[in-house]
Amino acid sequence: MSIVTDLLAKPGVIAAGEYAYRGDRFSHRGALSEDHARVASIMCRATTMSVNMEASMLEALQPLSGLLPPRGWLVHGPGYTVCVVANVFCLLDNSKGSINDLVGFMRQALPAVPADMI
Amino acid sequence: MTTLDDLMKLPGAMAAFEFRGSGEVLEQRIAYPDRINESTLDLLAHMCAANLSIATMQARGWEKVTGMEGFYPIQEFTLIGFDWSVVVSGLQREHYKQAGKFSLPPFMGVVLANESADYEAAFGILERKEPVP
Repeated sequence: MSIVTDLLAKPGVIAAGEYAYRGDRFSHRGALSEDHARVASIMCRATTMSVNMEASMLEALQPLSGLLPPRGWLVHGPGYTVCVVANVFCLLDNSKGSINDLVGFMRQALPAVPADMI
Repeated sequence: MTTLDDLMKLPGAMAAFEFRGSGEVLEQRIAYPDRINESTLDLLAHMCAANLSIATMQARGWEKVTGMEGFYPIQEFTLIGFDWSVVVSGLQREHYKQAGKFSLPPFMGVVLANESADYEAAFGILERKEPVP
């Protein structure tokens, strides 16, 4: 099974997808239209690129600070949480799933990305 | 007992801080200065201020484009690093805005070691509704 299929089987996950770091393709499953999944993948990729830039800057200030390479990020809203680890994203219904469990699963399933991929 | 002190009681808490929307640190607690020092925390707070702003813009745009609700206002932004994560929130400010206040409290954040990070517990403290004076 793919990571996206695994994620969709988790409680509360309503949609999940992957994007290419170079930005030329994406795939998704779940409760998003093709257009909305495209918007989601673009926003997720942009934020992933941004946090990688930030981590590199912090690393230059304090080597081995523990931030680099960043594994992912979360945006927690009142109803939904966007969870991103590596180049995989998913949308979680807060009332139906556990963020701790989801992050733990994604961190374990997705290895740290080599810096030359970004 | 302040919210910063409560955040420092979380499992794996390495630092907690208050910061302005422009990124300057206003108050801080640091448990392991060899890992997270004042200089690191200053840059981290500036990064977090920027990330909260971008995420807020994206949530607003996403809700308008898709018609989905439940993303805005952002409650927390979390950056998951290799060894540690930083969780930041400006939700207390929303409570002040709803009460008609123009002077808003600072943003708050906590740095947690990934091995023991309890993100939901951090969200619980950061979302705690403090009385608006």
